[in-house]
Amino acid sequence: MKYSAWSQEAALDVLATLREEKGAVLMALQALQKEFGYVHQEDVALVANFFNNSRADVHGVLTFYHDLLTEPPTENQISVCVAEACQAVGSRKLEKDLKAKFGKEVHDGYCFGNCALGPSAMVNGAILGRASVDSIAKARV
Amino acid sequence: MKIYVPGDSAAISVGADEVAQAIAAKVNGATIIRNGSRGALWLEPMVEIETDKGRTAYGPVSVSDIDSLIAADFMHGGAHPLSLGESEKIEWLASQDRVTFKRVGIIDPLSLADYEAHGGLVGLRRAISINSAEIIEEVTQSGVRGRGGAGFPAGIKWKTVAGAVSDQKYICCNADEGDSGTFADRMLIEGDPFTLIEGMTIAAIAVGATQGIVYLRSEYPYAIKILQKAIDIAHAFGWLGSSILGSNFAFDLKIRVGAGSYVCGEETAMLESIEGKRGVVRAKPPLPALEGLFGKPTVINNVLTLSTIPAVMADGADAYKARGVGRSLGTQVFQLAGNIKRGGIVEKPFGISIEEVVNGYGGGTLTGEPIRAVQIGGPLGAYFGTDKFETSLDYESMLAAGGMLGHGGIVVFDDSVDLAQQARFAMAFCALESCGKCTPCRLGSTRGVETIDLIIQGVKVDENKKLLLDLCEVMTDGSLCAMGGLTPMPVKSAMINFPEDFTGEVSRR
Amino acid sequence: MTMIHEHDFGTPASNKSEQVSLEIDGTSITVPADTSIMRAASMAGIDIPKLCSTDRLKAFGSCRLCVIQVDGRNGTPSSCTTPVADGMKVVTQSEKLDRLRKGVMELYLSDHPAECATGDECEVHGVAKKIGITTSRYAATTTHLDLAKDESNPYFTFDSTECIVCNRCVRACDEVQGTFALTIENRGFEARVSSSGTSFIESECVSCGACVQACPTGALTEKTLLTIGAPTSSVITTCAYCGVGCSFKAEMRGDKLVRMVPLKDGGANEGHSCVKGRFAYGYATHSDRITKPMIRNAITDPWKEVSWEEAISFAATGLKKIQAESGRNAIGGITSSRCTNEEVFVVQKMVRAAFANNNVDTCARVCHSPTGYGLGQAFGTSAGTQDFESVEHSDVIMLIGANPTSAHPVFASRMKKALRKGAQLIVVDPRVIALVRTPGVVAAHHLQLMPGTNVAVINALAHVIVTEGLAKKDFIDTRCEEKSFKEWEAFISLPENSPETLEASSRVPAEEIRKAARLFASAPNGSIYYGLGVTEHSQGSTMVMGIANLAMVTGNIGRKGVGVNPLRGQNNVQGSCDMGSFPHELPGYRHISNADTRKIFDDKWGVTLDAEPGMRIPNMFDAAIAGDYRGLYVQGEDIAQSDPNTSHVHAALRAMDMVIVQDLFLNETAKFAHVFLPGTSFLEKDGTFTNAERRINRVRPVMKSATGKSEYEVTCDLATAMGYPMSYSSGAEIMDEIAATTPTFAGVSFKKLDEVGSLQWPCNEANPEGTPTMHLETFMRGLGQFNRTPYVATDEKATRKFPLLLTTGRVLSQYNVGAQTRRTANNIWHTEDILDLHESDAQLRGIADGSWVKLSSRVGETIMRARITDEVPAGVVYTTFHFPESGANVITTDFSDWATNCPEYKVTAVEISPSAQGPGAMIETHIDGDVQLASIIRMINQIAANFPVSDAPEVKVAHHIVQFWTPVMIERLHKDVDKSLLSPIAVKALEVMLVTQ
Repeated sequence: MKYSAWSQEAALDVLATLREEKGAVLMALQALQKEFGYVHQEDVALVANFFNNSRADVHGVLTFYHDLLTEPPTENQISVCVAEACQAVGSRKLEKDLKAKFGKEVHDGYCFGNCALGPSAMVNGAILGRASVDSIAKARV
Repeated sequence: MKIYVPGDSAAISVGADEVAQAIAAKVNGATIIRNGSRGALWLEPMVEIETDKGRTAYGPVSVSDIDSLIAADFMHGGAHPLSLGESEKIEWLASQDRVTFKRVGIIDPLSLADYEAHGGLVGLRRAISINSAEIIEEVTQSGVRGRGGAGFPAGIKWKTVAGAVSDQKYICCNADEGDSGTFADRMLIEGDPFTLIEGMTIAAIAVGATQGIVYLRSEYPYAIKILQKAIDIAHAFGWLGSSILGSNFAFDLKIRVGAGSYVCGEETAMLESIEGKRGVVRAKPPLPALEGLFGKPTVINNVLTLSTIPAVMADGADAYKARGVGRSLGTQVFQLAGNIKRGGIVEKPFGISIEEVVNGYGGGTLTGEPIRAVQIGGPLGAYFGTDKFETSLDYESMLAAGGMLGHGGIVVFDDSVDLAQQARFAMAFCALESCGKCTPCRLGSTRGVETIDLIIQGVKVDENKKLLLDLCEVMTDGSLCAMGGLTPMPVKSAMINFPEDFTGEVSRR
Repeated sequence: MTMIHEHDFGTPASNKSEQVSLEIDGTSITVPADTSIMRAASMAGIDIPKLCSTDRLKAFGSCRLCVIQVDGRNGTPSSCTTPVADGMKVVTQSEKLDRLRKGVMELYLSDHPAECATGDECEVHGVAKKIGITTSRYAATTTHLDLAKDESNPYFTFDSTECIVCNRCVRACDEVQGTFALTIENRGFEARVSSSGTSFIESECVSCGACVQACPTGALTEKTLLTIGAPTSSVITTCAYCGVGCSFKAEMRGDKLVRMVPLKDGGANEGHSCVKGRFAYGYATHSDRITKPMIRNAITDPWKEVSWEEAISFAATGLKKIQAESGRNAIGGITSSRCTNEEVFVVQKMVRAAFANNNVDTCARVCHSPTGYGLGQAFGTSAGTQDFESVEHSDVIMLIGANPTSAHPVFASRMKKALRKGAQLIVVDPRVIALVRTPGVVAAHHLQLMPGTNVAVINALAHVIVTEGLAKKDFIDTRCEEKSFKEWEAFISLPENSPETLEASSRVPAEEIRKAARLFASAPNGSIYYGLGVTEHSQGSTMVMGIANLAMVTGNIGRKGVGVNPLRGQNNVQGSCDMGSFPHELPGYRHISNADTRKIFDDKWGVTLDAEPGMRIPNMFDAAIAGDYRGLYVQGEDIAQSDPNTSHVHAALRAMDMVIVQDLFLNETAKFAHVFLPGTSFLEKDGTFTNAERRINRVRPVMKSATGKSEYEVTCDLATAMGYPMSYSSGAEIMDEIAATTPTFAGVSFKKLDEVGSLQWPCNEANPEGTPTMHLETFMRGLGQFNRTPYVATDEKATRKFPLLLTTGRVLSQYNVGAQTRRTANNIWHTEDILDLHESDAQLRGIADGSWVKLSSRVGETIMRARITDEVPAGVVYTTFHFPESGANVITTDFSDWATNCPEYKVTAVEISPSAQGPGAMIETHIDGDVQLASIIRMINQIAANFPVSDAPEVKVAHHIVQFWTPVMIERLHKDVDKSLLSPIAVKALEVMLVTQ
C-alpha cells in the first residue's frame, strides 16, 4: 500500500480535518496511520497538543489498540484469523504455514465476520474466505 | 435485466467481485445490483436473476462458471448444474422466519426506494406520529431484548434514558461484533443498513437524543463503507439531520471505527473508545443510561436489537411477541459457523433446538467428520457436546444448560478438536484482549494459560485442575465485566463436558 | 513522638444531604446518600480489604478485593463502587468472599516480589496477611519481576516490579494534580504504569508527589525512604514556600527527616503537595547553612565567628551609636514573610519599642502591599475573602496576573478541578500562561493585555457591566455605599473607560472584553484570583480597588464560590502584614496615629509609641543614600537580590554603618552586612504561618535549632541589649500577646490550633472557629466602598532606545531568589534564568533560540539565555529572578505603586541584543544626586495623578501623604521641592497640608 511521506505540516493537515470532533484522539491516530502508514513518534506530541491532551494520554491510547502501529508496515499486510470458527477449519495450521512463508507480513487476526467460510484472511485490506497459503500468496502484491 | 451479485463481504471473500466483473464484461445490458447476502453463505457467490417469475438463483458461482451459465441462458432462468431455482423457494431460506433480516439479500442496500418498497420507514413514520412514551411502551410490550448477549429488555433501558434530564443524549449502536462465529451485525449493515439507521432514529425520538454513533469494528471495512454511504443518503433525503422526515425531531449519525480491541464490545469500554480513550471498562454504577457517552444519558444497543425495532414499530408488539418461548420473545438471528457444511444466517423464533440448527440447517460438518463440540455464544460461550443438542436455543434454557446464547453464534467443531487447547485459547484470548483494569482478568487469564499448559503437560494434573477451577471462580465472581467474568465459561464447560481432554495424557489423537 | 496515621475511608465523602440507613454485618449505620458501601463500612468501624481505592480518589473498582454480598442481590459487587441504599443488608465477611479475596490476592502475589524494598509500606503484603494468605499456588512463569527501575526523577523511584496496576498514581495525577502525566501503557497482562513511554524526568510529570502519595506499594517511593529507612515518628507542620501554606507530616527516623507527607486533613491542601514542599526541603540542612554568629567592622573585612553574646553586643552597640549620633529614626528593621507570625511580631515590637521608632517594613512591601491598601479601602480589611475550597464552587473564575500552576501549584490543582467540572476561566495576563490551555483546561477568554494596562482592562470590564445593565442592583443597594457607587457608576460609564477607547492602550480587542465581561457578570458565582501581576505595578493599588469594584458590582462577595482572592507569594505574607510589619500600622491593620490602638500597646509594652508613620523600605534606601539612615536589621529577606534597581539598593546598603542580617545563608545582602545572625529553618521553628486564605497553621519544630537559639530569642536578645528587655518562653506565649492586643486574633492560641488544626482569622468571640468566608452579611467596614480608578499609564514606557517591555515571574521548580530551591535537586529542571521573547522580536535582532543575549534598561544591564516562544506576545519579554548570577533586578527600576511603593517589577522598558559572552556581566549604574528628593517628587505627582479630578483631589492627596509618609519626607516636600516640578493637584495638596497642619 502507498502512504504519504510524513511531515509535521502534513500531519497537522490530517488533524485539522478532525478539529470539530469530540474525543478525537483515537480517530486522529487512526487517520495519521491511514495517511502515513503508521503513527510516527512525533505524532504523539502533535496529537496531544492539537486536542489539548497530555502526551501520556495519547501514548496510553496508542499502546492500547492493536490496530495502531508504531513501526512502518511491511509492504504486504496479511492478517489471518486465528479465532475459534476459523480454528475449526484449520486456521492454526494455516497461520503456522503462512508465518513460515511470509514471516513478519503475517499477523494474527481475531475474526473478520466470515466465520461460515473460514479460514479467513485479510490481505492488504481485502477479505479472503476458504483461504489457503496459495490463495493468500496470489493476493499479495 | 437485473442481476444480483452480493456485495456482502463473505460473498466477496469467495469471489463475488470477480463474478460481478465477469458478468458485467460478458453479459450485455445487465444491470448488476450488489445486494446483501441472503445468508446461505455456503451458496455464495449466489447470483440471482430477476425474471418474470421472480428471482432465480445460481450458486456457488465462480468466474469459470460464467461462460457455461451464459450458454445455459441463465439470464432467463435456464437450467444449469448450479441452478438453485426460485430464490424464495430455496427450502433453507424459505423455512426461516425472517423479521430482522427480512430485507437482507433482497434489496439493494443503498437504494432508499427499494428500502421503502420493502416496508422501510413505516416504523419510523409511525414513531414520529406517536409520542415518546407510546414508542417505549410498544418496544417494551414487544419483549425485544438486547441481542448483544446480555438480553436486557430494550424498552426498560430506553425508559431510563428517556426519563433522564440532560442537554444532550446519545444513541450508541454497538457494532463491535468481535465474537468469533458471529457475523449477523456485519451482514445486516452490509445488506440493509437503512434498517439500522431507522432503528436508531426511532430510539432517538423515543428518548430525546439528537446524536447517534455506530461503533463499528475496523475488521469490517466493507460494512464501514456501506453504512457511511447509507448515512449520507439518509442525510441527503432529509431523514437524518435537523428535521427527521420533516418533523421537529433532529438526529445526526456518525460512525466511529474501532481499532482492534475485543473488549470494546463491552458497553462501557466502547464508550471510552468512542471518547477516543483507552478502551477500559468502567465500573457501574453509574449506568450508561444515566451517565454514558461523555457523561450524558446514553442508549446502548446492539445492531440486531436496533434493527429489529423498525419491524416492531411497523407491525406492532403483538406480532413480534407472538414468536418465541417463555421470556425469549421474537426471533433470533443464529449464525452457523466453523466446521459446518451449510453455514450462514438462520433467523428463527427462539426455542429451536441446537440439533435443528446445527444438523438441520447446517447439515453437519464441512469435513464430513462427526461433530464433537459446538461453542455457542462466542469465545466466552460454553462448549457443548452433541448430548446437549436437544437444548432449546433461548436465553433461559441455555443458561440452565450451563451456557449462554450470547449473540447467537454457533461454531461447530469436528472430532479433531482438542478441548484442552480450546480452553487454553479462551484464556489466551482473554490475556490478549483484557483491558487490563481488574485483577482477575488481567492476571488471571495469563495464570489460566499457564495452568492449563501444566495440565496438558501432565504436571500435577489434579492440583492444577483444582487451581484452575478456583481461578475460574475468582474470574467469574470477581471480574469487573463480562470479559473476565465469562472467560471461565468455555474453560469450565470444556472441563466438565469433555473431561477426557484434561487428563494430562497425550491427546486422544 | 509517634507516627501519625490518617484513616483512609476508601472513597471520598458524599456531599449529599439526604441520609440513608443500612446494615453492615449486623451493624446499623446512617450515612449520606451516594456514600459507597466501603466508606459506610469504614465509618462503622469495619475495614473491607482494598488496594485500588483511597478516599482521595474516585472509586475505580479494579482490585476486586473489596467484594461484598448484598441481601437479595446477585453476585459479589465491589464495595467501593456500589453506593448504599436504604434498608440494604450488607455482608462483608463470608466463606465465599474469603475465597474470592484469597483468590485475587493469590494472583497479586504471583506477580509481586516476595519481599518489598519498602517493607511495611507495601500494602500488598499487609492486606495479604490480613486476609490470611502469604503465598501463591501459581507456577507463574510469566511475570513483570525483571523490569528495570526508573530512577530518573531526583526524588522518587519508579519500580515497575512492585506495581500492581491499580491506577492510583494515574488517577492521582489526573484527579488530584490535574497534569495527566501518567497513563497505563499496553493492555491486558502487559498493562503497565507509564509516564508516556519515556522516563519520568523526560515526561510531563511536575513531581508534585501525588502519585507517590497514592501508590499503595513500593512502586513509587521517595528515594529518601529507601536510603534512610522507614520513619519512626512524625510531626504535623506547615510548608515554608508559597502562600498556599500546605500542611505536611514531617516523618522522621531518629533525628533524620525521611520525608514530607502532605496531610489529608490539611485545610489548605487536603493531602496534596507540589515539588517544592514535598521534596525540596534539603536546603534546610544544606552545608551552606551558617549556624554561628559572625561580625566584621567593615564590609571589606573578612567575617569573624563570635559568640551570640558578642554578636548581639556588637550589633546593639553599633545601633545605639547611630541613634546617639543621628537620632532615633536613623535605624530600623525589615521583617520577613518567610518567618513565623511570632518572629515577625517580635521584630516589629523591637523596632517600635526598643528602637523607639516606626521604621519597620516587610518584604510584603515588594509584593502585596497594594492588596493591603486596596482591599482595606474597599472592604475594610486587608485579606482575601475566601478559603481555597471556595474555588470549587465557582462558575466563572477570573485569573489576573497570576500563574498558579508555577507559583501556587497546589491551589492550581484545585482550580483545575473546578475547571474540569465545568467552571469557565477568564485569564488576564500578557503571557500565555499554562492555564490558558493545558490538558483538561481551556480558558474561555484570554485577555492578553500589554504589561502596565491592568487598570485599563478592569475599567473596561466594569464599563461593559454597568453600561449594558448587568450590574447586580440588589447587592449594590443592600451591601454598598450608595454615594460611592453613584460616583463610581458615573465615572466608569464615561466613554474614556469603554473597551473601545482603552483598546489602544491595552491592545485587548474590545469585543473580547465585552464577551468576557458578560460571561463574568452572568455567572451565578464569579470569583477573582490575582497575583503579583496585579500588585507590582505603578497602579497596583488602583487595580486592587478595580478588582474589588468588579466583585461588588457583580454581587460576588459574601458566599462560597465568589470573592476577591490575592494569591500570596510567600508562605507568611499574610501573617507578616497582619502582625504590624508596615510602618504606618500596628498589628491588625490599625493605623499608628490612632491613640486608642497605641494605648493598648503602650500599656502592654510599657512604652510610648511614636504616632508618626516610619519609613518604607524604598524610603530607607533613599534616606541611607542621603546619610540619614545608617542602621538596618533585616531578617530573612535578601533585599540586595530581590528588590528592584539593584544599583540603588547596593548604594544604600553600602552607605550604612550597621547592617544586621539574620538568615540561613550568606545571601547577597550579607555581602553588605556587619553582623550575621544565623537563622533557623522552618523545620526548627515553633510558631504559626498565615496563608493566603487567612488560615493560621501551626509550624512545629521537627528538629532542634541548628544555631542553638530560636529566632525570636535572638531578636529579644538584641532588643534587650538595646536597653529594652524582651523575652518569651515559647512561641505560644508570643501568640498569647498577639491575641491579647489584636481583636481579629483574640480567639487564637496554640492550644486551640492544636485542637482544631487551623483557624482562619477573624477568630474571636464572634467567630470562635474562625472565618472561612468573609463579609457574609456586611463588610468589615460596614458597607462596601466603590473607588474610582482612573487609568494612568505608567511612566515606564517603551521608547526607541528601550522598545520592549520586560515582565517577570516564577517557574515551578525554583522559588523567588532561589536561596532555598537552588540548594536542592530542583536545579535539574531549571538551572538559570531564561529570557523569553517572541520570534518576531528575535528575528529583528538576529537572536537565536538558546543564545546569550544582553538585556538592558535605563538602570542597568545583564546577560542571560534567550528562549524563543509564543508564550509572550511581540513587544514583551519575560524572565525570572531566581539566580543571582543573572540578577534580573539590575534591570528593574525604582518606579512603584503610587499608594504603597510596591515596585513596578512587572513593567520595565528594555532592549535586547545578541551577546557573545555568558552570564556574570551585570552592569550597575552609578547612583548620584538627591535620590530622596527625586523620589518624593515622583511619588507626590503619582499620587496626585491617581485621584480623580472630579472631587477635590488635593484633599485626598494630602490625606494620603499624611497617612503614609514620614515627617522627614513631608518636611522635605514643603522645604526642598521645586514646585514647578509638581503637578497642579500636587501643588494644591501642599497648600491643603499647610492649612491643616
